Order: sequence, then structure tokens, then C-alpha cells
Amino acid sequence: MSFAPSQAAPSQAAPSLADRALLRRILANGGAVIALLVLTLGYTILSEPRFLSRLNLINVGRNFAFLSIPAIAQMLVMTVGGFDLSIGAVVAAGSLLTAATMGWATAAMPGAEAAAPWLSLAAVLAMGALIGLANALIVARLELSAFMVTLATGSILTGIALYLTQGIPVYGVPDGFVDRIGRGRLFGLPAVTLIALGVILLAVAVQRGTVLGRHLYAAGSDLKAARLSGVPVLPVQVAAYVAAGMLAGLTGFLMTSRIGSGQATIGGTLALETIAAAVIGGVSLRGGVARAELVAIAALFLTVIANSMNLLRIDSKFQTLALGAVLILALGFERLVLRRSA
Amino acid sequence: MLVTRGLTKTFGSATALQDVDFTLEAGEVHALLGENGAGKSTLINLICGTFPPSAGTIEMDGRPLGAGTVAAARAAGIAPVFQEFSLAPDLTVLENLFLGREKRQGLFLQKRAMRREAEELLAEIGFALPLDRLVSELSRAQKQMTEIAKALRLRPRILILDEPTASLTDGEARHLFRAIGLLRGKGVGILYVSHRMSEIRALSDRVTVLRGGRHIGTVETAATSDRALIEMMVGRPVEQLFPAIRSRPAEEVLRVEGLATADGAVEGASITLRRGEIVGLAGLVGCGRSELCRAVFGLDPLAAGEIALKGETLRRPSPNAMIRRGLCYFPGDRAAEGLALARPARENAGMAALRLPALSAGGTVLKTWREGAVVAAPFEDLGLRPMAPELPAGAFSGGNQQKVMLARGLLQDFDVYLFDEPTVGIDVGAKADVYRLMKRLVEGGAGVVVSTSELPELIHLADRIYVMHAGRVVTEIAGKGTGEAEILSHYFGE
Amino acid sequence: MTGQTASARSGAPARLPLQKILRALRMPLAILAALLVFAAFSPQVLTVGNLRNIALQASFLMIFSLAQCVVILTRGFDLSLGFTVSLVSVVSALAMAATGAVLPGLAAGLGVGLAVGLANGLLVGAVGLNPLVTTLGMGNILLALASTVSGGFPVSGLPAGFNAAFAQGTFLGLPAPIWSAALLLSLLGLVLHLTPLGRSWYILGANPRAGRAAGIRAVPVLVAAYAICSLLAAAGALLMTARTGSGEPNLGGNLTLESIAAAVVGGAKLSGGEGGISAAILGAVFITILSNGMNLVQVDGYLQQICLGLIILASLVLSRGARRR
Repeated sequence: MSFAPSQAAPSQAAPSLADRALLRRILANGGAVIALLVLTLGYTILSEPRFLSRLNLINVGRNFAFLSIPAIAQMLVMTVGGFDLSIGAVVAAGSLLTAATMGWATAAMPGAEAAAPWLSLAAVLAMGALIGLANALIVARLELSAFMVTLATGSILTGIALYLTQGIPVYGVPDGFVDRIGRGRLFGLPAVTLIALGVILLAVAVQRGTVLGRHLYAAGSDLKAARLSGVPVLPVQVAAYVAAGMLAGLTGFLMTSRIGSGQATIGGTLALETIAAAVIGGVSLRGGVARAELVAIAALFLTVIANSMNLLRIDSKFQTLALGAVLILALGFERLVLRRSA
Repeated sequence: MLVTRGLTKTFGSATALQDVDFTLEAGEVHALLGENGAGKSTLINLICGTFPPSAGTIEMDGRPLGAGTVAAARAAGIAPVFQEFSLAPDLTVLENLFLGREKRQGLFLQKRAMRREAEELLAEIGFALPLDRLVSELSRAQKQMTEIAKALRLRPRILILDEPTASLTDGEARHLFRAIGLLRGKGVGILYVSHRMSEIRALSDRVTVLRGGRHIGTVETAATSDRALIEMMVGRPVEQLFPAIRSRPAEEVLRVEGLATADGAVEGASITLRRGEIVGLAGLVGCGRSELCRAVFGLDPLAAGEIALKGETLRRPSPNAMIRRGLCYFPGDRAAEGLALARPARENAGMAALRLPALSAGGTVLKTWREGAVVAAPFEDLGLRPMAPELPAGAFSGGNQQKVMLARGLLQDFDVYLFDEPTVGIDVGAKADVYRLMKRLVEGGAGVVVSTSELPELIHLADRIYVMHAGRVVTEIAGKGTGEAEILSHYFGE
Repeated sequence: MTGQTASARSGAPARLPLQKILRALRMPLAILAALLVFAAFSPQVLTVGNLRNIALQASFLMIFSLAQCVVILTRGFDLSLGFTVSLVSVVSALAMAATGAVLPGLAAGLGVGLAVGLANGLLVGAVGLNPLVTTLGMGNILLALASTVSGGFPVSGLPAGFNAAFAQGTFLGLPAPIWSAALLLSLLGLVLHLTPLGRSWYILGANPRAGRAAGIRAVPVLVAAYAICSLLAAAGALLMTARTGSGEPNLGGNLTLESIAAAVVGGAKLSGGEGGISAAILGAVFITILSNGMNLVQVDGYLQQICLGLIILASLVLSRGARRR
């Protein structure tokens, strides 16, 4: 911080820019992503009636849950100006840990199967929190590139997971767990989808109504200004990474309940997919701008696209390609229309 | 109320502030006067706890202030208004007013209560601010007012204002002055940093002058003349700082016609420049004079207007094209735009001349082996200290960094030089070197434009002065010999 | 800023050479130490055959980390590098298998590299997109293309001359990949230190705005950086393809991470504007010795991945100059 007279910043908003400002406002408030979702849904429903079948919709709902929860996690970290490339690794590690603890608990405490999932959940959340804490402390305390740090921690974590399991899936997940959560339904909706909706609502509430939410935005928007204003920036950054780690762990837990075994490879492309969802949902790469509901809509959009490509029997390779292309297009859109430089 | 004794601050081997005794009484407006680099920033930063002193004490009501932390200073009721804003650009004005001190109930925000309090506060101090606008969409003046309102919300006992009117319009400044009067009446001590004599005279009870990190004196404002204050600040009669320039205006070399920038910072400015003269650009920070220079050089896109350089008309200038055509621009913010601080001084001096025959063969092979000798000459001319071209630019002092950047202009002969705030943050000796460089350029037949907030520079260097306001040139007046008051009278657009 | 600006008024010029020497010696010492540690555990490490093997391995990685260094110099990144390698491998193999000649394969491979580099460069340099996320997305596209073009299987049927010339060939007793790496490294060294382009990379990396204000045209300079990065990746891919004797859609798998690790460990600063070919050389040698040694001492492959991550983390922490982006 210095008191040196700063040079004039280019001043804003001449009247001639009013149209642009209105357009910006609409786009910044989710106009684009909602339009995208509606178009995709419309096209899919018209071209592929099977999309609306009950089974398919339930499938979409589940896949939405498995993308939207880690996307919210990615959004939290990006809100404070970071990145989390370790998210896929945490999901995979969470999956292994779920299966392992559950297998252990059912064997060690016969008759107490009901408690096993809770034990697993606690273990997974604790693991996610620890990894998030480590990421946050390295990134925020040492002021290192979040991208590189989480790339490295993700690689370490994947290595540990593979080393411990030697790449073999972990079995021993009780059927009751799979039936109740992974395949379970409540009010006709898949249980995992309900959990995802709960996470999204919680994120919206935190962003809009709490002191923490306000501080997350402030720390990402201008770290120095936030610090000068008395925002406890380090705890706020830690909170973002820890919450992200916990949500990633939760994702691993829920995915395991669906697959029925712990898999070291399920997180593969999640880092990319969650960043894509966040960017499409209007999250700024510089931090400070993020809205959970829009990220959720973007996650739904990506889920629907993937689902309709499946229904149309489009090769999964093209889904990979489409994801990359969509990510770059979303970035370009942000840069050119919203005029935010990354 | 606030007393500092023997306050000293060193950064590495450099002493920024030495042995300063300073007092601020309740209900007083105390002006702090000094050139850039005199230690004003260091003093306020110490008082508001940004960093701890190297020696000396700060006491509040006779009790020592906590160990140099922002929190301790804040708890004691010291509220700084930073020039470099402490606002989060992606939050609204309302959210920023309460940033870090939100009204809360448990974990949750009390939005309605905050809005009510904000409205009351703005009404009380007479600021009209759009509470729900994002700060990134505000004008510079509105940001400044938000920053002040944010500080006042805490009902401080000591308010520190660092050049608060630098970007305010006349009307906004009047509101501010009234608010200051109100606060003084309530017993708040106000530390007011400015180098505008008229403001200091109108507002302050006492003035403390710093120079070179030392306390030069504290005087009653009413009992001291402007001239005496300026000489305390500069340390010598003003005239000695500025060389006598024999300007001989010749043919026109640059003409700017109805220039407007795409971002609206300049809205139809026209100026001309002849060889052998210095033209000053005057006006408040944010009036568009810096942006005019940038636009002429091609750094910011144009919306309208044209530029004629040596008779050649250009509608879409680019830095590269302008340099090749003989126009050189020195950015006002050295660290941000002037220098690659991590690279050696040698590379910084040569970076605008990479395709020049002296430095490269046919623009494809750099004569790295000759570069050191080529840049040594301008460095010698400018008196670079230490004379170490291989040292990273960031390792030099402010004045010498400026010289590293200015060396760029001496590696080749330019016809037009644009200086933006050429003496910000450099010491008096380096200032004199910069002025001597201008003298040499002008007497050598180049045209020079100086955009500056330092009135003495306009008065002693410029042959003609354009005063700008809100992106337009409001008037053209004669330079040398014009009074400060005459120039200032145009700053608000009349 | 004040502290930094004023610090050097007196002692710094005298102190600088010592610091420089220490910094320059850090990596060679680490390399030596790694060699000795592994030699203590396995007698095979210091045999002529193994050292030759290390040199060969390292020469491939050097080319890739050099590619990474060029874009890191401009504050950029190439997360699509590994998939560029895969795509170049299968495309060049298909071209050679189809024509039965080597030259079309080389042309096709380098052409793919150039196209990828231009695309990355234009997106980052001209449109102004974030290099990390852009090249991440680009990598996905290339991955899909590589597996589509090849159908997911290795492409065989390459002309025998390809392997003979670019893998088996030797000159003065040294194999072709080592000569190729040496040639590319010296070429890039010349570009970095003796051309306006190289100088512009340094300046734009250290401070893009200052570079612009000094008349450096950022777009062509950045596009050139990404183009050269991908061309280097393509050259490395061709050499690796010659060695394996077939076009492999998974050839690049770990190369993105390894090239970044080598560059960062070798001393390339993520904040841009510093580093040179020595970072690529030293980093690649270090990483190669590490993986070679761990293989000889029979460290589990997954443990090796953990080590790689830890090493990246450690060198990030040690360099600390790397600011957050």
C-alpha cells in the first residue's frame, strides 16, 4: 500500500455506451446461459423424444448432481481468485475412502450398518477439508499460483490413491447404501439430485445473505482493498478452499453410492468440466464475480448436452472435443462481450 | 491528541522518514505539505499502522499506539482515506461502505439496517452516491467520495485525507469542505495532505512541511505566506530548480484535432505543438490530459479525431508506428507501464529501439555485444546512479528508474516528446535532471508536451498551457510567468 | 515498492555476482546430489550405458520443457502440449503410412504443430484469453482429435528409414535425438539472446504494458511464442514417434505435467520475463535422473507420480517469485 498519487484510471460509461451497458447487464445476469439452456433443451426435446422419458430424466438429474456439486466447489475457489485443479483427485480419493471406510465399518461393527454411511461421510468430509486447507495455506500464505499448486497437489493425491489401491477398485460397499442414496428417490426425485439442489441453495444463501459470502467476493475482487477494510482475508480464502474440498469429497461419496465401488479414476475430467461450468456460468477468472444459481444452470446445460449426445449416439470423443470448444467459446464470450480481461 | 516522537522509518538502506516530531490536536485541520518523496506517505502509513516504525513512538491521548498494525490504529479511532482506493470493484457502493464491518446478526447480514444507515450518513455529509451501483462503474470522483464516506461511517477521532480533492469537481469539493468543517466542529482531528495552496489556506489551522524525510517546520497557516511555504517545501528558491530555457518556437510538428477516446476519457480535444517549444497540459487528475497523451501515442483506441505528425495525418496511431515516425511517450506510471522492472536497465533503455541500426542488424539480429556501449552514453548524460546498466531496473531509486526510462528518448532522435507526470515520486535532484533534459530537447529543436499536476512545472517550463477539464481543452493560456491562481481558476471548467 | 527501489543504492552491485553464482549452481548441485544418492542404492546408476540412457531420455524432455519455457517466459502456459504431441504422432504416422515416405510425415507433423500453436497464440495473444484455461480447453480438443484420427489404436506401418534416421542414427557416436535436442536448444538460445523477438518475449513477460508502451507489438510476438512452442512439441513428438516406430494416440499422456515440472524446477519463473534455455536443460536432466533412478531402485510408478508433484510444489515454494494469477 502506498500513498503515491495514483494516475487517473480511464473513466467510465459515456452515454454512447448505454446500449452496451444494458446488454452487459442482461448477459452478466445470466441471460446468455439461460438462453443457451433453453435452446439446448428445446433442440434436444424436438430431435430426440426419448429425452423426456422418465428414466432418462432421472439419469439427467443424477448426472446434474455429480457435476453441479463440484462446479459449486470450483466456483467458491474461483470467487476468491483461485483455481482448483485438484478437484477431480479429491473426488476420486473421496470415492476410495468411502468404499474403504464402509467396508471396514460393516465388517468391524456387524449390525450397525446404518451408521456406516455416516462414518464414511464424516471421513470423506474431513479428508476434503484437510486437502482444501493444505491448498489454501500453500496458495494464500505463500502467494503462489493456485493453478500450479493445485495441479501439483492433485497429482500427488492421485498418486497416493493409485499407490494405495494399485489401481484396483475398492469393493465392499453395502447394497443398502447404494439402494438408499445412489439409486434412492424422494418425492420421485433422485436423492442425489435433491442433495445437489440443497448444496446449490446453501451456496446461494451464503453468497447473498451472509458475512462470509460478502467477504468471499471482496477478497476475490481486490485482495488489498479487502485487507485494508479489515476483511480477514486469509480465513476467508481458507474457507473457500476448505468448503470446495468438502464438496469434492461429498461428490466422491455420492458417486460411490451410485457405482457401488470406490474408483481411483472417476475424477478424470472434472477439473476441466467444473471450470467450464463456472466460466459459462459467468464466474470471473480474476475472482470477485460469481453466482451459484448461474453456475448450476451452466452445469445443467453441460449435463443436457452430454445426455443428448449420448441419446443421439454421438461418439464420446466428440463430447470431449465439444467440452474443450465450449470452454474456449465461453472464455471468448466473457472477454469480448463482458470486456473482462482474464 | 496524537503525538509522534522521533519517528523514523527505513526501507533497506534508504531512510524514508527521519526523526519526525508531529502533533495533531482534536478539532484541528492540520495540513501536511511536501513534494513527492518527502515522506508524507510514510508518515501517514505509520500513523495508520500499515507498517511499524523503525524507531520512535506514536502516542494517542498519552498512551502508545499498538505495535504498528492497522487494527490497532483503527481501534484508536484513526481512519485513513487512501488515494489508492480500498474499495472492492465488484461490490456495490453500499456493500463497500460496510466492507469489513458489516452489520450482522450471527452469520447473516442485516441488509436493511445497513441501507438505512448508509442513507442517513450520505444525507448528513451531503454526498449523492448511487448505493446500488458497482464501484467498478463509478467515476474516479465518485470512488473518492465513497472512500471518504466509508471512513466517516466509523465516526473516527482522527481522519486522514490524502489529496482528497485530486479528482473532485468544484461542487463535490465544496461538499467535502463542508463535511470537514462539520467534523472539525465535533472535535475530530483532521490530517490533510495536499499541495494546493488555496485549499490549505482555506481549510487548515496549521501546516507541517516535510522534505527529504525530515521535519522542516510546523507553522500557523494564517501567519505564513505561500511563498515561504513553497520554499520550505522545495528547500531553495523555486527559480533555482528550473533551468532557463531558450525556446524558439518554429514550425508546427504535431496537431491534434477533435480527439475523442473510445472510453470517453477524452471528448474532443485539440492541441498544437511547434518545434522548439514546451506545451503544458494542466488540469485535475482524471481531467483527460494523461489519456490524451496515451491516445496520441496509440495506447488507447480513438473514437474520433485525427493526429497530424510532421504533416502526416494518422487516424489509427499505434505505439510502434508513432515511435517510428518520431514521437516518444514517457508513461506517468513507471512501474506499471514504463519499465520491465525485473529486466536489466540496459534492456529497458533499449526496448523501444530494438530495430534501430545501432542495436540490430537489419532488424533481425540484436547486436547484444554492442548494446552496453550504446546505452552507456544516455545513462552518462542523465547521471544514472549507480552507473550499473546490468542491474534490474527495479533495483534503482525512483529518480534513477525515471532516468532509465528517459534514456529511451535519447537513443534516437525524436521530433516530439510526450512526458506524463515526469517527476512523480522522484527527489529534487532528479527533478532538476529531468528539467535539464527537457531544456536540451527543446533547444535541440524538438517539441515537448508535459502533462503534469505540479503547478510550478507549468509556470516555469511551459511556453503555452492547455487546461483540460472533463475530457476537453477548456482554455489555452500563456505559460511562463502566469500565476498559479490564474491557472487553477480554469481547473473546474470555467 | 519503496523498499525494493531504494535497496540497491549501495551494496547491491557488489552482492549480485555471488547471488547469481549461487542461483546458477543450485540446479547442477541438485543434479549431482540426485545422481550420487541413487548411485548409493544401485550400482547400475553410474554405468556408461545408463548415463547414455539418461542423456537420451533427457534430450526428449528437454525439447518439451524448452517449448514450455518459451511460453512461460511470456507469462503464458501450454497445457495442451501433451495432447499436441499425441496428435502430431498419429497424424505424422498416418501420413507416412499412407505415402510410404518420411518427408510427408514430417511436413504433416510440423504442420499440425504450427496450426495448434497459431490457434493457441491467436486466442491468447490476439483475443486476450487466459492462457491456462484456453490451452486446457485446446488440450481437450486435441485429445479428441488424436483418438478420432487414429481410432484409438497405434498407427503402424511406418517406413523403416524413419526409425533408422531419427532414432537409430548416430553421428560421432551420439544418437540422433541428442543431436536434435542440441540443435533446437542452440537455435532457441540464439533466438532468445540475439533477436528482437527473443528480447520482446523477455520484456513482455516482465511487464506487458511497458512492452506495449515501448512500441513492441504484442500480438505477433505472443503468436510467435505459442507457434514456436507447439513446433518444438511437434519436433519432439516426431522424434518420439521414430523411436517407438508407430503413431501413438497416448504418446503425450504425462508430458504436459512433466514439461511444466522440468521448466519450473529448472528455474523458469511463472511470473514471466526470466529464464532461458538453461532452465529447460537443467530441469529436464534433473527430472530424468530422478525417474531413471527411481526406476532402477524400483520405486513404484505411482510413488513416482507423487514425487513429481512434490517436486513441482517444492520448486514453486522455493522460487516464490511466482505470483498468483
